[in-house]
Amino acid sequence: MKVKVVTNILEANDRIAAENKKIFHEAGIYVINIMSGPGAGKTSLLEKTIAEFAGKTKIGVIEGDIAGSDDAERIEKLGIPVIQINTGGGCHLDANMIRELLDDLPLKDLDLLIIENVGNLVCPAEFKLGEDMNVMLLSIAEGHDKPLKYPLMFQESSALILNKIDLLPYTNVDMEKIRKDSLSLNPKLKIFEVSCRTGAGIGEWTNWLQSFVK
Amino acid sequence: MHEVSIAQGLLEIAIDNCKKQGYTRIDSIKVKVGKASGIVPDSLQFAFEALKTGTMADKSVLTIEEIPVGGFCKECDKKFSVDEAYVISCPLCGGTSFNVETGRELNIDEMEVN
Repeated sequence: MKVKVVTNILEANDRIAAENKKIFHEAGIYVINIMSGPGAGKTSLLEKTIAEFAGKTKIGVIEGDIAGSDDAERIEKLGIPVIQINTGGGCHLDANMIRELLDDLPLKDLDLLIIENVGNLVCPAEFKLGEDMNVMLLSIAEGHDKPLKYPLMFQESSALILNKIDLLPYTNVDMEKIRKDSLSLNPKLKIFEVSCRTGAGIGEWTNWLQSFVK
Repeated sequence: MHEVSIAQGLLEIAIDNCKKQGYTRIDSIKVKVGKASGIVPDSLQFAFEALKTGTMADKSVLTIEEIPVGGFCKECDKKFSVDEAYVISCPLCGGTSFNVETGRELNIDEMEVN
């Protein structure tokens, strides 16, 4: 007998993500999900962002990594609540991983929760976590061909942060092409150019982010 | 890259549906995978074959229909589809005002149970 099913295979994840989002909203927390390839500077961006928000906004962090707790240790030094998730080989975070650690976060005391996804330009874009906004980080040394090679992540993000602009004199990267292709894929994308090493451009990014956090 | 977890989700939904209808064996499952979904059909097929063993889908055949990225161009008023996993301009007129309508599918479409 033929049965018509028509169910999205990611339905279970999307359902849990929607529940997470409800819990975050009830607690008055704005949630961003930061995605990038490995080594683009996600944790450095977090450190700079946390420093800019110090004393103004109460931040919590979830660190997603395949293994290790190096990133969480870096964030912990800044004196804010952080939880490390090790996916044990898994290439992305999913909604259920976030759900399982909600009890370990001081939700009532937070204004902004930043989730640092596993370093990977493909899979994290497919799994909703319960975030309000996806932010993509691309270091310019990765090359200007990335938007068209990994279109999904550019399409799913509200902001694109181009990091390591201090390296511009040493690369052949075509910044205009990155902008043009990214905006072709996603005309609403907000683009920032920063250097987490020198601090250039960080203020513009954090001012913009601040406008979403209550 | 995570086709195993997608195949696991697919199997769970299929088995769940089969049980709900009061049947005990899945003969076939048809899924639609968009070219922009990030899923590689061959990897999904491989993962499914490995995971179905010992379940009520043990003897089932998985058919994957790949759906191209396509949409409707508001400038030339025509439907289009492209070979790439993205579209930045209409392949018919070069226009940049369009709606993408297909290519992100990751759905179980239908299945045969017994």
